[in-house]
Amino acid sequence: MSKINLQKKEAGGSEAFIRKFHALGVLVLIAVVGFFVYTNTGTEDAQHPFKLGLDLAGGSHLVYEADVSKIAPAEVADLMNVLRDVIERRVNTFGVSEPIVQVERSSFVSENTVERLVVELPGVTDVATAVAEIGKTPLLEFRLIDQEALQAQSVATVEVDGVSVQAEPAEDLSPFIDTGLTGRYLASAALEFAGGSGGQLSNEPIVSIVFNAEGGDLFETITREHTGESLAIFLDGEMISSPRINEAIAGGRAVISGGFTAEEAKALAQNLNFGALPVPIELASTQTVGASLGEEVLNKGVTAGVVGLGLVILFMMLWYRLPGLVAGISLIGYVAMMLALFKLIPVTLTAAGLAGLVLSLGMAVDANVLVFERMKEEYRNGKNSHQAARDGFARAWSAIRDGNITSLLSAIILFWFGTSIVKGFALVFGLGVVVSMISALLVTRTLLLALPESHITKKTILSKLYNSGVHTK
Amino acid sequence: MLFITYRKVLLGIAVAVVLGSGVIIGTLGLNLGIDFTGGSLTEVSYAERPAKEGLSSELDQLGLGGYSLRETLDDEGRDGYILRTRDLTEGERVTVESVVLSAGTESTITRFTSIGPVIGQELKDKALWAIVAVSLIIILYVAFAFSGVSYPVGSWVYGGITILALLHDVIVPTAVMALMGYFLGVEADVLFIMALLAVLGYSVNDTIVVFDRVRENLMKYRQEKKVMVVGTDGMEREEITYTLQKPFAEIVGVSVSQTLMRSINTSVTTLVALTALYFVGGEVTQTFSLVLIVGVLAGTYSSICIANPLLVFIAERKVATEAITK
Repeated sequence: MSKINLQKKEAGGSEAFIRKFHALGVLVLIAVVGFFVYTNTGTEDAQHPFKLGLDLAGGSHLVYEADVSKIAPAEVADLMNVLRDVIERRVNTFGVSEPIVQVERSSFVSENTVERLVVELPGVTDVATAVAEIGKTPLLEFRLIDQEALQAQSVATVEVDGVSVQAEPAEDLSPFIDTGLTGRYLASAALEFAGGSGGQLSNEPIVSIVFNAEGGDLFETITREHTGESLAIFLDGEMISSPRINEAIAGGRAVISGGFTAEEAKALAQNLNFGALPVPIELASTQTVGASLGEEVLNKGVTAGVVGLGLVILFMMLWYRLPGLVAGISLIGYVAMMLALFKLIPVTLTAAGLAGLVLSLGMAVDANVLVFERMKEEYRNGKNSHQAARDGFARAWSAIRDGNITSLLSAIILFWFGTSIVKGFALVFGLGVVVSMISALLVTRTLLLALPESHITKKTILSKLYNSGVHTK
Repeated sequence: MLFITYRKVLLGIAVAVVLGSGVIIGTLGLNLGIDFTGGSLTEVSYAERPAKEGLSSELDQLGLGGYSLRETLDDEGRDGYILRTRDLTEGERVTVESVVLSAGTESTITRFTSIGPVIGQELKDKALWAIVAVSLIIILYVAFAFSGVSYPVGSWVYGGITILALLHDVIVPTAVMALMGYFLGVEADVLFIMALLAVLGYSVNDTIVVFDRVRENLMKYRQEKKVMVVGTDGMEREEITYTLQKPFAEIVGVSVSQTLMRSINTSVTTLVALTALYFVGGEVTQTFSLVLIVGVLAGTYSSICIANPLLVFIAERKVATEAITK
């Protein structure tokens, strides 16, 4: 008899040791995650800094609408990607740190799909300059001139001998016929000086362009089929020259001459190299937030978070006593894990995201509250504190599961439907659901089971620390 | 039990509140911000605020159409204005900027937002669709999760009631927003939509927790009875019928009491966090937190005083109609 008892005690002792060891492991884990967040915050050269949204860091948010009406639907996605690359190259020359350029498609909820380009420039508050810089990228087009229509219009002011002429608006009577050959087929452009042959002035600055393979073929076809006609070159809707096609041109090389000065030709070549836009774009919305305003919003959001965290922990401790303290530690673990995830994924923090995080502090303890209430019932019914904790978790599980799954489903749908700002909120919300579940099931459970066992009939301080709150029946 | 005994009063209050909210929203409407309507917002601050009349008369000459000019005081104590206009082209923006900047000394533009009408409309559509889609998926999931307890009310009833409670929780803060928009000029922006979405999540979670307890207690207090019946195809199959050892109303009542402390405590912790956000979180998220505070209060009320009384109400109606058809 005594032997068996002894063995039981030993087994119980080593089990308790393992539980304490687990608890220690969880605490160390929280400390490590917290340390990771702490060391990566505030310093300039942090490896994983927080990614602040424009409303917190200050900067400009530009939305361009692309006119894809003249493009075959199958090609739209490709061309939008080309457009993005082109704009990205231009934006990169600003020297802005971490600009974002992305394509956004208005999804299936509206009848007409609108293709948009979102440009985010952190730290840039001089939006006028930014817009001008982005807009400077030229749209290069080649159009055939319908001589009959031209004469019918009898526009005396149009000279077709390589002199810069104002373009006519593309109306029904327009003498210009789209060839489909645009800047998207461009491989490179360079400043050259004309050698004085082919009717050009000697030493006139010109821009020589090289098409890519596809563009070269197209150029050859056009020049072969329309030998003798004039091919006008349009830059941003303005005709800059309209040379006559003397013969089919193979090899994909062409020259733009338009009475440029050397400076102008150089700038044009550079701009063309940076990328002629494959589709015309128009600025649809602008948002600029000054850096000081953003910083203020950030500081207040963080203060609200700290105050909120303190108050929630205080409430939990007052109401649930010892388990409440455990829930507090678990909540700190939740915050540390969330912040670490924000850094690692990375999630762009906005004012809305920050507000969502503060809100989630209150909701994240819900699983704890559910378990503690169940635990209290079991404890008052005479179970010891460990058994009560185990049963509390087991019984509360179905409620935690169903509540969290519906929340997670909502978050996924919001992420699916939402525009970028709603997406950010949905991501924070969804992460909060998963992480709060982990913190309740892992941190709270492990720590609770590591605490010394107690029973309601033992009138010790410890037993009172378990029995908490108001009794409802 | 109190909540079940006075269910008709509680449901009556809920119906009155929902109808009242509906009337408020219907008559006052929401004061939609430029996020939805399209338009421009320019915020400027000065060392000393110039006279409103002078600035107005200069702005009048720009031909911007209707605009509103409101005094603001930023948190550093700098005076300024918020100018709201229709959405401006790049050229107009430059002109407006130079006018407001030259009106006072040490002037800076702290914020500029311009949103095209298409983007605004799209946001409105998307927000609506998101709410509808979320509601549908919730009905489906709850109906699935409660399929084990389809007696005495079908499992889809739980899903349906969850959505009714949700409707209540969303319409009440929307009415408050309409009132604030009408009397205080507060604008409903994207943050308002996000607050509603968060209320939605909170409300569903809250209702499901109480229903979960109902589910558990139903399983505890029911007795299975298996009988062999001959189906229409002549095959004999086992049919399980249930009888409850306690009245359904009592089971629901007990469930509400058992989850009452949890409902209250979770709303307290959430409200505590939101109150912190309201008072120290700054102006940007103040409306957001206020809408959520109202939503959480509504959500707590609906899970205790609407969802469960309604469950009992429907169950009794069903029993009554079954008795008549028999």
